[in-house]
Amino acid sequence: MTKAHLNKLDSQALSALLDGEQHLTDETIAEQDVATFGRYALIGDTMRAKKNNQEIHIDISDRVALALESEPVYADFSQSKVQPKSVDEKPSDTIVVPFNWRKPIAQVAIAASVAMFAIIGVNTLPQNEEQSEIPLLQTTPLTGMASPVSYSTEPALDNAEQGLRELQQQRIGALVLEHQRQARVANSLQTAQNSEKAQEGNN
Amino acid sequence: MKVITFILSLALSFSALANDTNPAKDLLLNMASAVHNRNFDASFVVVKGKSMEPYRWIHAKQGNTEIEHLSLLNGAGLEMVRVDNQVTYFEPRSEPYSLQTDSIAGPIPEVLFKDINRLSQHYDFVLGGKGRIAGRAAQLVRIESKDEYKYNYWIWLDMESSLLLKAAYVNHQGEALEQLQLTHISVTENPAPMLLEVLNRKFPTPLPENDLGGDTSLASNWKISWLPEGFELLKSDRHKLDLNNELTDYFLFSDGFVEVSVFIQRPLPGKRLSGALTSGATTVYVHNGGSFDVSVVGNLPSSTAKEIAESVTRAL
Repeated sequence: MTKAHLNKLDSQALSALLDGEQHLTDETIAEQDVATFGRYALIGDTMRAKKNNQEIHIDISDRVALALESEPVYADFSQSKVQPKSVDEKPSDTIVVPFNWRKPIAQVAIAASVAMFAIIGVNTLPQNEEQSEIPLLQTTPLTGMASPVSYSTEPALDNAEQGLRELQQQRIGALVLEHQRQARVANSLQTAQNSEKAQEGNN
Repeated sequence: MKVITFILSLALSFSALANDTNPAKDLLLNMASAVHNRNFDASFVVVKGKSMEPYRWIHAKQGNTEIEHLSLLNGAGLEMVRVDNQVTYFEPRSEPYSLQTDSIAGPIPEVLFKDINRLSQHYDFVLGGKGRIAGRAAQLVRIESKDEYKYNYWIWLDMESSLLLKAAYVNHQGEALEQLQLTHISVTENPAPMLLEVLNRKFPTPLPENDLGGDTSLASNWKISWLPEGFELLKSDRHKLDLNNELTDYFLFSDGFVEVSVFIQRPLPGKRLSGALTSGATTVYVHNGGSFDVSVVGNLPSSTAKEIAESVTRAL
């Protein structure tokens, strides 16, 4: 579908809105300058909306799409130079072809730790009353909330506290990642354990 | 002879009883088989509190070969590919590796793709109401923990295809903590060609199975005296954490539905507070045990994680 055709379809939809005011045949719509027509329709909509207390729908997706097209690309994954070299050097039975779905997304070099904190840092609030008796750690101070270690006014102490907080935050990120990874083997371990038990039961 | 027929008939009547007493269980078993046998392409989001993770999930069955691809679409990403009994994980900043297992450990609990009968001892399966999810007629099935130490899990299944449409970890107050919702699904007759292409790729050789279990003798160093009923030790070892290079004594437990990790580490310097941190259904509880730190991670209520962490003592 071409751009022009799309616009024509849009204006046809708009004409339906305008039908109450004036009658336009398909030919005249096609002749109309699309932009002008759209503006008239919007003005009409606004006026009617005032009268009938309705919502106005302004569709700027076309213009946004156009603007995006001319945006420079900052992160071009297809030209990523981060290639795990060691993988290629391995003997043939372990050669891995990185899974190029369309882009080598898995190779984008963003620290995994950062990704983890994004997950963990978001929700540090209590879940319900039942659990509120449990103190919640403030590893990532939320804005507008006093963090428990911020009473000190001395910058040196502040820095030390911040360093400790970072250590703790790092550790928690590492723990969550490790848990996720270990959970992957849980299933095969459990299957192995169960089959062992079944065998013992048979014997 | 009579005895044998008697035993046989008894066994048959038992299995018949087991089969038609629980429609909720049957629906879940139908889903497990649908997930393994259909060709589908689905997108879903996982909502954890204020954060959201979008995934794409594609599955194909070509002859007797199953191919499954699950990828996290935001951030640095995470790709998981399964070809029959081999799952390969592609993570940012680390080399891909394969495991010999028949399901992907993603946001959906793995046991749902298998025989959920093994959960019967500690969970109930309850049929819920019907509704409309992702534009389809859906039936709710609730997997409810028999005690208050674990979360419940609710699953909405497509009444037509038996596939999963929505799922949520729900606490005992009935609040959804972490939700998974399909936004689109297309079930097709033939497998997606781009998925079949995966069959031509070479994946890493799976890690040998006996390496996974770790060193069980370590279990005697620490005493973890309390865990909710049904949890069993799967592995224990001492290793360094990937991100911060810290040494940890590590224990992995599972009740077949959720996994719990227990880490015992050297204490961090400074004032250490005990406390919980949550993201969706995942809880991290850090406990100051005096001369050591205990951290418990898993999809459990923080009160349970707290109790586990506080039950850890040095074995004498």
